Amino acid sequence: MKTILKLIKKDYILFWHDKPAVGLTFLVPIVLIYIFGSIFSGGGSPQGIRLAFINSSNATVAKKIETALDTSSTFQLIKTYTNDQGKKVTFDTNSVKDFIRRGNASAALVIPADAFTDTSTSLRLKFYYDPKNNIEMQMIQGLLTQTIMTEIPSVFISSMQRKAEGYLGMEKGSNFNKQIASVISKYYKVDTAEILHGMQFAYTDSVDSDTSRKAGNFFSNILQMDKKQLVGANVTSPDATRSVGGWAVMFLLFTLTGTSTSLFDESKSGVILRILSSPISRVQILWSKYLYNISLGCIQLFVLFFLGYLLFNINIFSNFLNLVLMIIAASAASTAFGMLLAAFCKTAAQANGLGTFLVLTMSAVGGAWFPTFILPPFIQVISKLTIVYWAVEGFLKVLWNGYGFIDILPYLGALIGIAAVVNLVSLWKFKRGTIL
Amino acid sequence: MISIKNITKKFTNITALDNISLEINEKELFGLLGPNGAGKSTLMNLLVGYINADEGEILIDGEKISIENLDIRRKIGLVPQTLALYDDLSAQDNLEIFGSFFNIKKNTLKNVVADKLNMVQLYDRKKDKVKTFSGGMKRRLNLAASLLHDPQIILCDEPTVGVDPQSRNAIFEYLIKLNEQGKTIIYTTHYMEEAERLCSRIAIIDFGKIITTGVLETLLGELHYSQTILINKNHLTEKKTGLFQTFGEIINEQDKYELKPTNKLKLSDFFASMEENGINYESIEIKKPSLEALFLHLTGRRLRD
Repeated sequence: MKTILKLIKKDYILFWHDKPAVGLTFLVPIVLIYIFGSIFSGGGSPQGIRLAFINSSNATVAKKIETALDTSSTFQLIKTYTNDQGKKVTFDTNSVKDFIRRGNASAALVIPADAFTDTSTSLRLKFYYDPKNNIEMQMIQGLLTQTIMTEIPSVFISSMQRKAEGYLGMEKGSNFNKQIASVISKYYKVDTAEILHGMQFAYTDSVDSDTSRKAGNFFSNILQMDKKQLVGANVTSPDATRSVGGWAVMFLLFTLTGTSTSLFDESKSGVILRILSSPISRVQILWSKYLYNISLGCIQLFVLFFLGYLLFNINIFSNFLNLVLMIIAASAASTAFGMLLAAFCKTAAQANGLGTFLVLTMSAVGGAWFPTFILPPFIQVISKLTIVYWAVEGFLKVLWNGYGFIDILPYLGALIGIAAVVNLVSLWKFKRGTIL
Repeated sequence: MISIKNITKKFTNITALDNISLEINEKELFGLLGPNGAGKSTLMNLLVGYINADEGEILIDGEKISIENLDIRRKIGLVPQTLALYDDLSAQDNLEIFGSFFNIKKNTLKNVVADKLNMVQLYDRKKDKVKTFSGGMKRRLNLAASLLHDPQIILCDEPTVGVDPQSRNAIFEYLIKLNEQGKTIIYTTHYMEEAERLCSRIAIIDFGKIITTGVLETLLGELHYSQTILINKNHLTEKKTGLFQTFGEIINEQDKYELKPTNKLKLSDFFASMEENGINYESIEIKKPSLEALFLHLTGRRLRD
């Protein structure tokens, strides 16, 4: 037994000295558990979902819905936009649609002037949306319906009353109420006038929210949501189009991390020394590595997108030039990430371990696996610092929205900017390091 | 002509080379002998322009070697200490890749590669992946990869590490042949036998300093004795170490004693004493002193320490 214990101790010592292995064993699962836990536990419900909003109705219920949405932490209501003159302007129907089409928000709720009038038997709302992410859209609609439903009991009562009056006539309806009040008065010894007052009060605003929540299922008939998809209606394979970018970028990062860290193997084997004993400079080696990785990344991404075209009929050719630009920018940024690892790590094992951790984390927080809006707010801020976020969003804009060059410039700019900054840091580090 | 002038190279707190100067003649097979960590590889890295010196300069035919001077590297072929090859590629692919760095034309390169593979007797295995080769075959290919551009100067940084005797002899023969063809060769090693066998002139380096330089015979003449006596260890000789010490300094080796005789020793007296003590002649061997002994004499340390 002592021998076995000694052997076990030996393995623990070796394991502890293998920092990448320790990191992959503990750090990666801890981070991923935290991220997934934040999403799927109660405390991690989405916050601050951007929802464009117009309220043109004077109805009390419209005001209540607006207040409820305004005070809700789930939604961030956007009621104005900045026009071409740089002025803040309240949305109208056209501008709110344009707002969605431009990808500034995924959905808009419009309460029209005739949403609920004196003669309405149901509440009529308009909902414009861009289902670039299916999960996001389902969650927005679910949360929105829930919020509205908790605020419209008066609509339910009024609707029922008006339907009854429409069926029986005003006089018969009133008599029906009086007879009901009389029966209740007789059995419960309550004043008829008080009962009638209560019924009248109930017709307006006074049903408590608990009652209304219990009645939630009945409300679907009185809430008429006129939904209109503004973007991606012509996309041939929506689900595949949405997901291809995220997965492609994740595997791109894995590939380019591996090839960038090949510098370690070449350095260790002496091949770098042999190359540098020929008329080749260090700068030329770095450039060759960088351009090789970018070209390999481009080839990999193109193959993956082309496979998406063959297998899922993803339309990659309708906006092909912009897709190529995004592919180049994503490859450049991902290569820079790989080179940064090579510059800062001391061994290939360390670089690959850290690379695996960072790629998985960036994929989780950057939107490669699920939409970023369901993450806690501070992680959403972090996600915007990742290559994955800008690449995934950029590919969506090209493939889903069909955006042109000007519209994808922010995404190209962010990726090229990340690549430039990271490359400068890597170069600085390479000059001080021992790998070359 | 290679001129190494007052070179100093430091790494953080370690002085790898401390103000060393050497002149190496054209067509010379020059040996740089020293223990591990003496500064041999640092000097090789400076000679090939991989690193720059902190002080001093190295000139090849009057032209300075540096990281920035890429063209001068065409004159130099480096045989690295490590097996600087791509294991997953074939021998031919390796040589074609390394040859391409010297801008050799495609057709010429094919012929050069075939020629070098023939030279190191690997032509029949040219399509095989390097990872299937033995250590000796890899070493031979490592040498061939350094000769593709027909360099004037060949820098061999311990090119026989971990090689079987047969491959080691083969490498020696290639190098001797190359030297006969007019190539200047600088050969670093910590194996004194290699330096003794190959090199016409030797520099001994230790702790970053050149201790001595010269022709082998001249260097050995610096010793105060012209012979060294080896006595095999056995039951009897192990009891008589006190006796041996009366004739000189004793070095305790693994299976023998090495006796460095005093100036006054007469071999006839030594053998008479051995006979008197019952030690037979088969246990005794007389040899010329080696570089190992010279190193010990100069540094007070064994080469392998």
